[in-house]
Amino acid sequence: MRKVDLCLSSEGAEVILATSSDEKHPPENIIDGSPETFWTTTGMFPQEFIICFHKHVKIEKLVIQSYFVRTMRIEKSTSKEPVDFEQWVEKDLVHTEGQLQNEEIVAHDGYATYLRFIIISAFDHFASVHSISAEGTVVSNLS
Amino acid sequence: MGSKGEEIVPDDAGQKDTACSSDFAEDQEGDPTVGKTALAQIFRSDGAHFQKNYTLTTGVDLVVKMVPVPNTGDSVELFIFDSAGKELFSEMLDKLWESPNVLCVVYDVTNEQSFNNCSKWLEKARSQIPGTSLPGVLVGNKTDLASRRAVDSAQAQAWALGQGLEYFETSVKEMENYEAPFHCLAKKFHHLYREKVEVFHTLA
Repeated sequence: MRKVDLCLSSEGAEVILATSSDEKHPPENIIDGSPETFWTTTGMFPQEFIICFHKHVKIEKLVIQSYFVRTMRIEKSTSKEPVDFEQWVEKDLVHTEGQLQNEEIVAHDGYATYLRFIIISAFDHFASVHSISAEGTVVSNLS
Repeated sequence: MGSKGEEIVPDDAGQKDTACSSDFAEDQEGDPTVGKTALAQIFRSDGAHFQKNYTLTTGVDLVVKMVPVPNTGDSVELFIFDSAGKELFSEMLDKLWESPNVLCVVYDVTNEQSFNNCSKWLEKARSQIPGTSLPGVLVGNKTDLASRRAVDSAQAQAWALGQGLEYFETSVKEMENYEAPFHCLAKKFHHLYREKVEVFHTLA
């Protein structure tokens, strides 16, 4: 089966919720394939966003490019609706002064229809997420 | 914290394209009975509510209010953590504060001890987020009790300056100047946000 970046808006992914929204730095910037554009939190933690794939996918590897993120929890759902999320991964990231954090996560049990990213804490008053890519395959369309 | 920052609040000039709203946590601290709660409450109610009876704050009270930042098209939503001034509750505050974004230290201009204790409060707040800047203001309250004033304006101003705080005097009872410290904090926080967004731009 063809491996693609499942977290691209051009592949049909969509951010359906984000707890911060500055119109200049909308959450769509996370899945536009460019690390130059970003979504920024606008104050306080936790903060979260949910990515919908609009299909059943199997994720093999996740790459998160961000800044100032300290603890990130990722939950996933395999439901048609964004419900029944279960804990999947929790990571403490390292601060990389002056350059993007580049966190690679090799996924186990990567079946999902939705991913929920929760920034539990950060190294500053704000944090940014520049890109998320998920290497994997499309399993089936939602019926 | 369910409705975190989702409102878009364009300003009066209609600069809708730049509109954004952000939230921040403000720690309000200082000795007991200096008027922290009265200040927070009168700000929340736009001057409609002056608390006549004293109630001791135990732990923290949360006051939430949206404040526009002039000439930016942006608004910030303040989450004011009105904190207990009694030593007894001091340890509990460490858990309740959790990463403040800005701080407001309040003292009573008729009570010298409450002014002297400001450095202790400041240190306590700053130790919450070591290595991260924490903008703030110092507020001298109860200026209506002019004959009982024990702390000189200039002295307080000088100390605040040395600590990187902006200085305000208020009379919550007379509803004088009670909005200025909060508007200043909103502006400072907004500035911090702009600065960080600039940093994010340089990364990729």
